[in-house]
Amino acid sequence: MSLINRTLFRTLVQGTQHVKALHTSSVNAEKNVCYAPISAMQPNANKEGRIKCTLIPGDGVGPELVYAVQEVFKAANIPVDFESFFFSEVNPTLSAPLEDVVNSVAKNKICIKGILATPDFSHTGELQTLNMKLRNALDLYANVVHVKSLPNVKCRHHDVDCIIIREQTEGEYSALEHESVPGVVECLKIITAAKSERIAKFAFDYAVKMGRKKVTAVHKANIMKLGDGLFLRSCEQMAKLYPRIEFEKMIVDNCTMQMVSNPNQFDVMVTPNLYGNIVDNLASGLVGGAGVVAGASYSAECAVFEQGARHIFSGAVGKNIANPTAMLLCSANLLAHVNLHNYSKMIKNAINKVLKDGKVRTKDLGGQSTTKDFTFAVIHSLA
Amino acid sequence: MAVRLLAKLRVPEIRNVANFSSAAAPATLSDFDVQHKTPVIRKQQLIPKAQYGGRHAVTMLPGGGIGPECMGYVREIFKYVGAPVDFEVVDIDPTMDNDDDVQYAITTIKRNGVGIKGNIETKSEAAYVTSRNVALRNELDMYAYVLNCKSYPGVVTRHKDIDVCIIRQNTEGEYAMLEHESVNGVIESMKVVTASNSLRVARFAFEYAKRNGRKKVTTVHKANIMKLSDGLFLETSRRLAKEYPDIEHNDMIIDNCCMQLVAKPHQFDVMLMTNLYGSIVSNVVCGLLGGAGLLSGRNYGDHYAVFEPGTRNTGTAIAGKNVANPVAMINASIDMLEHLGHHFHADLIRRAVNKTINVDRVMTSDVGGTASSTDVVNAIIGNIGRC
Repeated sequence: MSLINRTLFRTLVQGTQHVKALHTSSVNAEKNVCYAPISAMQPNANKEGRIKCTLIPGDGVGPELVYAVQEVFKAANIPVDFESFFFSEVNPTLSAPLEDVVNSVAKNKICIKGILATPDFSHTGELQTLNMKLRNALDLYANVVHVKSLPNVKCRHHDVDCIIIREQTEGEYSALEHESVPGVVECLKIITAAKSERIAKFAFDYAVKMGRKKVTAVHKANIMKLGDGLFLRSCEQMAKLYPRIEFEKMIVDNCTMQMVSNPNQFDVMVTPNLYGNIVDNLASGLVGGAGVVAGASYSAECAVFEQGARHIFSGAVGKNIANPTAMLLCSANLLAHVNLHNYSKMIKNAINKVLKDGKVRTKDLGGQSTTKDFTFAVIHSLA
Repeated sequence: MAVRLLAKLRVPEIRNVANFSSAAAPATLSDFDVQHKTPVIRKQQLIPKAQYGGRHAVTMLPGGGIGPECMGYVREIFKYVGAPVDFEVVDIDPTMDNDDDVQYAITTIKRNGVGIKGNIETKSEAAYVTSRNVALRNELDMYAYVLNCKSYPGVVTRHKDIDVCIIRQNTEGEYAMLEHESVNGVIESMKVVTASNSLRVARFAFEYAKRNGRKKVTTVHKANIMKLSDGLFLETSRRLAKEYPDIEHNDMIIDNCCMQLVAKPHQFDVMLMTNLYGSIVSNVVCGLLGGAGLLSGRNYGDHYAVFEPGTRNTGTAIAGKNVANPVAMINASIDMLEHLGHHFHADLIRRAVNKTINVDRVMTSDVGGTASSTDVVNAIIGNIGRC
């Protein structure tokens, strides 16, 4: 009952904010950034001024986490509508066709996505996973994971704050494997100059946008002199265009060691595909695990927001124990991406407040609360 | 000298000229010098576009005078309409004698592809410090400058319904910055006109006319006096005009042109001219339409585009007094949004600006209003999405 009251009250408050916003006249004030007109002006918004967003719940605990996001959006009265697709590789009969999902994301330009499970052995003999197909179809070449220590999440390292940028359309994930003679399998790792330059530029531009100081290229060019060499050379080339950002390179094995011993030295990291995957997960582990790190994938046209470390956590399905923090942070990032900064801040502040209070913690953070408890705690802290 | 130039003129292959001059440049010169001493078409290294998740990165050079405050208004409006653009602000210190900041600014435009700028001051009068604005245009090889001059019905002026488009060669001519004192007391300033650059800008003008449904191109020149340099420019545009039979082409001498502009401006459609004449004519037309604060200009090269207020005035005298007209910079930002393909947002802002000036008549004092800069910006923001 109290919850209903609260939600009702908030709706009313927001209603008055809309009215206020229509009449503001000061130029430099923050209050100028009003809610209703902005959303009404999105090109991908429909008539009532609401933004459409593709939603892929994914496998494992994905649907539960996505549900948490929807709850929070509903409570905060955020003008975003979801276009939901069940998309799954382990459940091919129920899955929506790839084209439909791709068309929807291409149309809406934004998507929020749970994790897709990938079976270890292909049933159809295909080497490409559904995840890879989606990425290739949309050309989602850059994966960004912002690893940041959260308040009151006890970890070995404090104040970790690094951004890991990963190329995710080529490299080891080319899905080109063959058995040339029985017992000998060759897997092709593809590195191209065009894509390496593109990801390097993305990393530097991202660093500029976020006001970062340093970009570290992670590679293994001492062994793969040609492939990783090309990647490294492309990064070096691009670094020349950014004289005010420091550029350094680090071999991936050393990088992982440095990461666990002294993670604070890193700022922005740019990596080829597989190394990125490993470093992402390693860094996520440093700040509290898969449940608290948000990520996003970008193409030139669209952005897909998903968890930073991709684990389906199938052991927890239906147990109501998964941590929705990562997914909620994703949704906050999504809102910032479509210029709804106030809503984004509201959700981020609420999450920080709940974590700081420390009363409601899910199991992975050493508490006993459920997913729903946490979601409701966040909703109660929305301000 | 003249004979040699004439001989060069008769060479039918224009492409060779570019190759010839770049090969002639001594290897000791830096890239920057080469561009200034030998104005040739430079091969630019292509860099991937700065567009991520539908958002563009754009370099913002506030420049001096009223630039920073106007940029503030632009950001305000962009924030309000939610334009998917992220600005990378580069401040250039006008008192510095070296070109580090300018070089950095050029680099950022190279990697972003698009920039928006106020007028950058060059305080130093030392001969070796080049004008920053010119350096920027030369280095980025932005050979065409487009100024779209359309009357605002709300601004009271002597002539109504002017709609002229000025296209100006932007990198050579009188702005070659080649001056020397050959004997004491005698200074020679070189005006450089190349066939390749003339051809490029002429083609740009005719293509522009064709794509925008314009009827006529007028080449402005002074070929009766400068028979070789302006003659080359005129000859090139005449030759090219034959490729566009649908578009009428005529030419006019610059002095006559200025007179005609202030007397009968409606006879002009698209105007094509060399660098210095462009500077003069665009200021004349801006004056006819209501001054420096309204129009916006566009600099185009093959790979980069930079948008700025039309008359390139710094406005140092009125900086910080909240009286500067913000419309020019806002128009520049609209041009930029259109260039990036965000027609939806561009249209929203344009309609709001038009309504503010033509219907609500909220204007700054330079165009006959009484409002302050912030009043105008507020009025525009108030009109966004409601007209």
